[in-house]
Amino acid sequence: MASNTVAQRLQKELMDLLTHPTPGISAFPSDSNLSLWTATITGPADTPYDGLVFKLSMEFSPEYPYKAPTVLFRTPIYHPNVDFSGRICLDILKDRWSAVISVGSVLLSLQSLLGEPNNASPLNGQAAELWDKDPAEFKRLVLARHKTPEELDAAGL
Amino acid sequence: MDHKSVVFASVFPVPSLSHTTPTPIATPVLGYASFGPSFEGPAADTAGAQQRAVRRNVAWSTATRFLSLPKTQIAADASFEVRNRAQRTPDVEEALEYLLVGEGRSEDEREQGIVEWFANEATLHFAAVVRPRVAALWEKEVHLSQACEVLDQTQRILERAQNLYFQPFADHLLPFLHRHAAASSSSTVRHYEFAEPRRPSEADIARQRFQREIHAAFTYCVSARRFTKTLSYALYDMGCAVFRVYIRQEAGSPQAKFDNISDSRRRMVSLLQGLERVGLGGDNAQRAFAHAMDKLMGSFIDSHYTKVDWYSRKSVVPHLRMFIRDGFCPLAELVLECLKCQPSSIDAKELQVWQDMALGRLGRARVEDLFDYVIRWDKSLGAICDLKEYLKLPGAKQHLTSNFSQQVSRRLLHPGATTTFILNVYISVIRAFHELEPKGVLLERVARPIRRYLREREDTGRIIIASLLVDPNDGGSSAKTAAGVEISYEIAKEMAKPLSNFSSADADDELDYGDMNWQPLPSDASPEYKKSKGEDVIWFLLSLWDRDDFISELKNILGDHLLRCQDPEYEKEIRLLELIKVRLGDEKLQACEVMLRDVLDSKRINAATRINEEKEKVLKTPEKRAPRTPENAGPRTPRTRRAAAAAAAAAEAASASTQQKHAAPAPKLNAQILSSFFWPPLRDDEFLVPPQIQALQKEYEVRFERIKGMRKLRWMNALGDGSITLELEDRMEEFDHLTPWQISVICAFQEGGEEGGEGDGGFGKSSSTRNSSGGKNKSTGTAGEGHAGKKSVTRTAEQLEEMLQMDEDLVQQALAFWTSKSILRETEPESGIYEVIENLSSSSSSSTAKTPGSASKPTTSSSTAAATATEAGAVRSQASIFASKKEIYQSFVIGMLTNQGNAPVSRILMMMRMVLPGGFPYGEEELRVLLEEMVEEGRVVGFVGGVFGVKGN
Repeated sequence: MASNTVAQRLQKELMDLLTHPTPGISAFPSDSNLSLWTATITGPADTPYDGLVFKLSMEFSPEYPYKAPTVLFRTPIYHPNVDFSGRICLDILKDRWSAVISVGSVLLSLQSLLGEPNNASPLNGQAAELWDKDPAEFKRLVLARHKTPEELDAAGL
Repeated sequence: MDHKSVVFASVFPVPSLSHTTPTPIATPVLGYASFGPSFEGPAADTAGAQQRAVRRNVAWSTATRFLSLPKTQIAADASFEVRNRAQRTPDVEEALEYLLVGEGRSEDEREQGIVEWFANEATLHFAAVVRPRVAALWEKEVHLSQACEVLDQTQRILERAQNLYFQPFADHLLPFLHRHAAASSSSTVRHYEFAEPRRPSEADIARQRFQREIHAAFTYCVSARRFTKTLSYALYDMGCAVFRVYIRQEAGSPQAKFDNISDSRRRMVSLLQGLERVGLGGDNAQRAFAHAMDKLMGSFIDSHYTKVDWYSRKSVVPHLRMFIRDGFCPLAELVLECLKCQPSSIDAKELQVWQDMALGRLGRARVEDLFDYVIRWDKSLGAICDLKEYLKLPGAKQHLTSNFSQQVSRRLLHPGATTTFILNVYISVIRAFHELEPKGVLLERVARPIRRYLREREDTGRIIIASLLVDPNDGGSSAKTAAGVEISYEIAKEMAKPLSNFSSADADDELDYGDMNWQPLPSDASPEYKKSKGEDVIWFLLSLWDRDDFISELKNILGDHLLRCQDPEYEKEIRLLELIKVRLGDEKLQACEVMLRDVLDSKRINAATRINEEKEKVLKTPEKRAPRTPENAGPRTPRTRRAAAAAAAAAEAASASTQQKHAAPAPKLNAQILSSFFWPPLRDDEFLVPPQIQALQKEYEVRFERIKGMRKLRWMNALGDGSITLELEDRMEEFDHLTPWQISVICAFQEGGEEGGEGDGGFGKSSSTRNSSGGKNKSTGTAGEGHAGKKSVTRTAEQLEEMLQMDEDLVQQALAFWTSKSILRETEPESGIYEVIENLSSSSSSSTAKTPGSASKPTTSSSTAAATATEAGAVRSQASIFASKKEIYQSFVIGMLTNQGNAPVSRILMMMRMVLPGGFPYGEEELRVLLEEMVEEGRVVGFVGGVFGVKGN
């Protein structure tokens, strides 16, 4: 019964996402049981991530929506709040999670995080430093680390 | 020849005389010195032996010269007739007696007996004289038409040759042997006569040996294979003659044909006996006979029994058995007797085997055409009965099922066959096989592919349910229902049958220990075999699917049907629902029950609101409405209501002609309240109905809410039907069963809301907080178009769309409809501007004068109207649902391709089926079309191998 309500909620969120698409954000289940999704974010304009496409994985536990989904960047990203394994430091995915937050809002938050990193609590210290000191170097590292989905596919990830 | 020369010749064989004299094995040696014992030795014997040899030689010479056959005549005398022989002279007689029974008999291997010599002589003669002639006959492959003559001739030649050889044998050799045998047996063997069977006498042995040798020579002069073949054909031919006559005799002119039978029979007998006499009877002839009889049986069945008894519908098997017993067996016995077979009679067991053999052939022939018989059921009852007999043979079932399955897959289960046809055939299969084998094992086996195929067809369910709802007494005038679904009258007839003793559907018969009629399952039943519920065709059809699928289909069709139904009591629908409940169980059919109750309730609510309405009106405007009350007093059925409407229209006509400006009589409205939750998705095109109807709807709503408390109505204007009366300058036209949009469109051509449209409104769906219900209105009224003398109103399709807020296709459809009815026309061809044809005669003449092509126009447009009308079922079609959900599907596809990368169609389809709420009820085809569209729009890119991906990603 519990998993059934999870599925229902996820289904509803999926339909919301699909019927009211937000530019630059998209998500879709990877398998039939809806517990694992793949999301796509396009980097916002006027940031070092402008036009880059990032893939994320979202895993929903059976306690969802009372527990936050596990969200990871699948595309390598150079960002102050994301470590090299793709783990994200974002408050709403940790202690400030609430049941009213939807997949769409999570993705929106992540998109805005790309433009406004929280440099107070970085996972990647170097990135946090460079963000303010040397935007050009930062951008170069972002581009160096980024891979397109095709490249990822080729690498078998 | 004189004695001297005989003596001389016996000592010194003269070549000229010895041509018939084989050299004796023991050459006589005269006078050699013998060295015997000195005294009392066997010298006397030796001398005796020498003496005997000489004497034997002389006798031999005499006898062989006498017996020798004339070989010199080979060329000259082709007939080699037996010449009259000279009487035996005493010395010949003496010689023969000496050689045959006297001392000159061959006593050991070394000496050749005179009998053997004669046999040899005959063989040589045969080889030299007779054989070439026989061989000439058989040189080439014998043409079948000449088989009889060749056999006859051969037989004659051989018979004559045989006589030639046997006569001297019988005349000159046998008497001596007989005499001797008689003498010896009378003296010595007499007292054994009773003690042991008489031993074959020496004469018999000699005779048999001789005969054997001659026959061997005869047999080898003809190629065995060729002979067998020819003989078998000849026998077959004669047999055919015999039996054909036998049947004709039955048919009616026994006297005329009687000679023929006995002729053929006699010919056959004489030929066979002749052949047997000359030694050609043996194994070859028997083999030939077996061949012939085998073939004969086959062709006899072909010619006489493959014809199915279509009229009396009886099996031909008893007759076939009779034929084997009374026609075939006697013939075989006759032949066996001629060929001297042992035993020459046929016992009952053999007869049984033959009958089965014949039945097997008949059955196989029938199986070949079984599909045709099934289609022509039940005229083909005779053939099915034949097969029923055939099935008793071993292996027959297997043969029948595999063969029939092949026929079915070849002739039925292909895209060219309509579903209705397949269903009808399936019903015939059920009935025919039930007759064939009541237990249903065969049916289950052969029906499996048909059922599987029917399940794959998407219109099967619709046809079945639509057919269930059809009245078979309609006469089959139209093979389609209004919704354009083909129906099967077979099913309808089946449904009309009284419900047989139908036990509860789910009871497991196997566990009912009290069942005194219990029988074990048939031994050849497959694991899925279920005891069939008799010949209940409906049961077979309803069990085609899972119950749930079937019920959801049933809901759709029943919904459509109920909305169209004209019968105010809904008797058939109630009956159908009850029947299906019995078969599928109550609990699943709740929605259908609610639907049925909705329409029944609507009637009551209509009546209730109408009474209120009348009361109010009488109170409010008694003077105006009073005259009409009596007419409306009993509006219990649509029929009476329509009559009322017609009366009102007549009144209106009168008023219109006087150009009065008062409003036409108000239209009437009947609503059907549907509980939207339980109904299938319905058409919900939104458009404006004529203002009169809108007013009525408002009023109705108010009353409804008064009766039903909190519930609210939502009108579904696209559903419903109406009647309208149009008053034009020169005529009045009445229309019934129009769609609401047709009425709305024609009302829009009226000036200033002056006409009373009687549209019928739409359906409403009402929603309250807890449950919602929809209403369908039926209203009747009259619309008068009284614009005498004024210019006709013109409208374009675009104007109408705007005025009525109606979809373009509905507007177009309505326009086409009215054009085909000669109410509207385009002012100019292709102009898109329509006007009312106020004056039919003038306008039609003018328009034909103007445009020669316009004459054909009404027909084309009416056909398009008909075509589009069929699409306008009340329940939304899959295609329209697909169109409405297209956007969701598209965004779904985009979402999937964006996040998961490129995917082939099959994977997209799978994901859509699993993830979309409510599933994706379409196939790969539809999805592919959708994807192609998106490719055209540039949102998706198609790659090779049916893989699609998002653009620019």
